[in-house]
Amino acid sequence: MRLKEKLDQELMALVIKKHRPALEELYDRYIKLIYGFIFKFTNGNEEKTKEIVQLVFLKLWTTKSSFSPEKGNFVNWLLTVTRNVCVDYVRKDSIHIQNNQQIGMSQSIDIEDPNNDIENGLINSEITKAKNKLSKPQKRLIDLLYWKGYSLTEIAKIENEPIGTIKSRLHQSLKQLKKYLEVGDL
Amino acid sequence: MKKECDNLLSFLSDELEEKEKKAFAEHLIHCSECTREYDQMTEAWNSLKWDFEEMAPPVTLKSEVMNFVFEQNHEKPVHKVKQWSSFFSRQFTPITSGLFLATLVLAIILFYSNVQLKKELQATDLPVKVKTAFLLQPADKTAVNMNTAGAAYILEQGHEKSLVVQIRNLPALQESEVYQVWLLNNGNRTNGGTFKPDKAGTGSLTYKLPANNQFNQIGITKEPDPNGTQPRGIKIVGSS
Repeated sequence: MRLKEKLDQELMALVIKKHRPALEELYDRYIKLIYGFIFKFTNGNEEKTKEIVQLVFLKLWTTKSSFSPEKGNFVNWLLTVTRNVCVDYVRKDSIHIQNNQQIGMSQSIDIEDPNNDIENGLINSEITKAKNKLSKPQKRLIDLLYWKGYSLTEIAKIENEPIGTIKSRLHQSLKQLKKYLEVGDL
Repeated sequence: MKKECDNLLSFLSDELEEKEKKAFAEHLIHCSECTREYDQMTEAWNSLKWDFEEMAPPVTLKSEVMNFVFEQNHEKPVHKVKQWSSFFSRQFTPITSGLFLATLVLAIILFYSNVQLKKELQATDLPVKVKTAFLLQPADKTAVNMNTAGAAYILEQGHEKSLVVQIRNLPALQESEVYQVWLLNNGNRTNGGTFKPDKAGTGSLTYKLPANNQFNQIGITKEPDPNGTQPRGIKIVGSS
């Protein structure tokens, strides 16, 4: 059977067995997804995006815990792996912490505004819609935590707020998101 | 709400140390409140990953990524050796290695004895040749045992040498007494085996000779027991 006809998990099983063409096939299938994710995570830094893409594929090539369909959807797994690599990358990067100390003031952290991000008001995903319904501090918290890789403690420092406040805000944000996702457009 | 429940969000965002992580995972099994919350939170948390747009990367990226991956991988041949050795150490606990060694030793012994047996079997196919023959005559020609007589032969079959002794009309022995054959080489006597004759006085013996045993005469003595290393009794017959 040709690689193009294989299922994702079959390709991943071949990758575990060090089958190079299988890794290349996964690249062809999912690079746009992975690239887009990392591009957002690095706030559009092309050089960092390239480095992280390399690390993601190195991780896929060297991983011992193979993907199995019980773990759910392959793409979900792939993006989780991708985010883990992103977070490791920024957390290892001491600049991240230095930035964190330098910044002190919340204003200096550059977070994209989803409204500016998506041109022509075209909203592509359910989650983007749901997120837009959150309050500004809630959105900001989600972005710092999920898309910048800051820890809750770091965020408390950046926002100059008690950790408890940050945690309950996150709690509320996630609960509301879930509700918005369930209700959808209604 | 217990203290552990506080860690729910840190657990979700994967900020806990390995130890805390394990502890919370354990806690999650028992705390229904956290389980419910966690399920709700995870759903929203997992959906966050879709808040981005697909993007076409630069065309050159693929070769850069592949080169990076496969160059990195070439640097790790040592790893493989380690993996193999750890694979083996995982397979061989002290008990299994003991058993393995014992089996190995047994196999070697069996192989060796098999080879020996084969040699012997091959040898039995070879013809038996008489190398030397000795006539055995009474030591004391004047005594009553005048008619005691016999012969001894050195037989060769392949590399194996053996001594065969046959004597008639030997004087009767006491209960524990035996006749002992001595191999003489320049006055040195070595044991050539012991035997007891039948009631008629006919005695016979086959003795496997050591590989480099040299002798030119044979003597047979009457011994009080079969355990002597040097003659103690009187000589009955000998080669001339």
